[in-house]
Amino acid sequence: MNWERLLMLDRRVIFLIMALVIALPIIFPFGLPTQVTDRTQRLFDTIDATREDQAVLLSTDYTPQTEPELHPMYISILRHCFARNIKVLMVTLYIEAAGLMDVGLREVMDEFNARATTHEDSIIMGEDVVFLGWKPPPIIPILAMGQDIAGFYKQDFYNQETATMPVMQGIKNYRDISIVVAFSSGSSPLWFVQFAQTRFGVKVGAGVTAVSVADFYPYLESGQFSGLLGGMKGAAEYEELVEREVGVQGRRRATEGMSSQSAAHIAIMVFVIIGNIGYFATRRKR
Amino acid sequence: MHISTDPWVWIGVFLTLCMFSFLYRENGFYRFGEHLFVGVSNGFGVSFMYNNVIKPNLIDPASESFRLAFTGEFSWNLFNPMEDVNFIVIIFGMIGCLYFARFIPKISWMVRIPIGIFMGYYTGLSVPAYFQGTVLRQVGATIVNPAKMSSFGEGLIAILVLIGVICTIIYFFFSKEHKGVLKGASWVGIVFIMVGFGASFGFTVMARMSLAIGRFTFLLRDWLGLVQ
Repeated sequence: MNWERLLMLDRRVIFLIMALVIALPIIFPFGLPTQVTDRTQRLFDTIDATREDQAVLLSTDYTPQTEPELHPMYISILRHCFARNIKVLMVTLYIEAAGLMDVGLREVMDEFNARATTHEDSIIMGEDVVFLGWKPPPIIPILAMGQDIAGFYKQDFYNQETATMPVMQGIKNYRDISIVVAFSSGSSPLWFVQFAQTRFGVKVGAGVTAVSVADFYPYLESGQFSGLLGGMKGAAEYEELVEREVGVQGRRRATEGMSSQSAAHIAIMVFVIIGNIGYFATRRKR
Repeated sequence: MHISTDPWVWIGVFLTLCMFSFLYRENGFYRFGEHLFVGVSNGFGVSFMYNNVIKPNLIDPASESFRLAFTGEFSWNLFNPMEDVNFIVIIFGMIGCLYFARFIPKISWMVRIPIGIFMGYYTGLSVPAYFQGTVLRQVGATIVNPAKMSSFGEGLIAILVLIGVICTIIYFFFSKEHKGVLKGASWVGIVFIMVGFGASFGFTVMARMSLAIGRFTFLLRDWLGLVQ
């Protein structure tokens, strides 16, 4: 084999191969089973154990470029909460995320309301969920929610008074929150650990991009995170749990991408192996 | 195959292909997409910041304070910073405006005032939180105790974590030449660091592929309708 020629291969050929490896499984998925890991199960169980007088606080802190990884997590957890009649409070610490949250929330509300037959089955803004919006700088809302959530977010994202909303009745501060789940392409789960958990004792879960998940593992091992979703794989695991345990059907965005993910990983491994063999083969000749 | 007729999808497709064209080589379409992104991001950020921060926290309370003061409804509460409507916000607004002092050479030193306040506030807030939330808890998590020896697997991992932390710290300990025991320990530290780099690289590949999958799903599903 002519290794020199192979190692001089135009990188655009590799891009083309990767495009095919990603595109073909999207059109023809080969449906590998999704194994749920312990860290995903722990997050699911913590949310599932939310009492009637508590709410789940979702902090959605990601930008459009990480949407394929984090948006499916957010959608799945919304489905889980709505199916279990768990109150949901939503905030965002990133300015760019507000629009994405609004679109995702309306999508899941429409899904549930299309199936609803009674008022109780429906998901109503202000009764079952409130989107409190964005307020800078990030640390201030995290600290303020330890005192009085409705006092800090006097109006929601849609300019409605929060204090009088049915969803806020009995929800004062972190004492009434079963878990804060921060979906982040940055460090917001750590901010919640450092400023909300250490001061107010609230449980924290995280949904993070694959590129940063290695940085967050120590917090899972130390028990500071009550669960961790890592990248598209973590999102696919949560989608599996919501469908299997809660019985909610819906588009599974992360699961759709897992065939391509697996194929791409195999391709990258093959490239790494060929590259290494080529390097050592040509080095011996030199 | 059912090609989308939504103009927003077509705009998204055009910009996606503009970005992908960089993989072939640098070109005008890529630069157009890049500059458009920067412009739109800044425009979005500035307008959102004005409507969600400056207007409700500075302009509305200050203008309402003036209205009350000049319509015979003046009260000393207008000087109470804890009230929703007060004059005090103007002082904070003026301190914030000092950020622009750097554009005027004679008074450019005044930019240090808001920077000093901001840094002092955040340092005071962050240092204790970082120590409590990260340093102390993470050090505590490396301590091997009987609770971590509940099974062979968990015990092994706890010991590995302890060895990894100590050896990695030794690798970054530069006050003594790495000879003898220190040399061996720092070599073990390198092994742990390399394993860490390998894990990070694997996760990075996964993350980048996820982003590509997101764009390809958009092209194949939302635009071309090849996937249901």
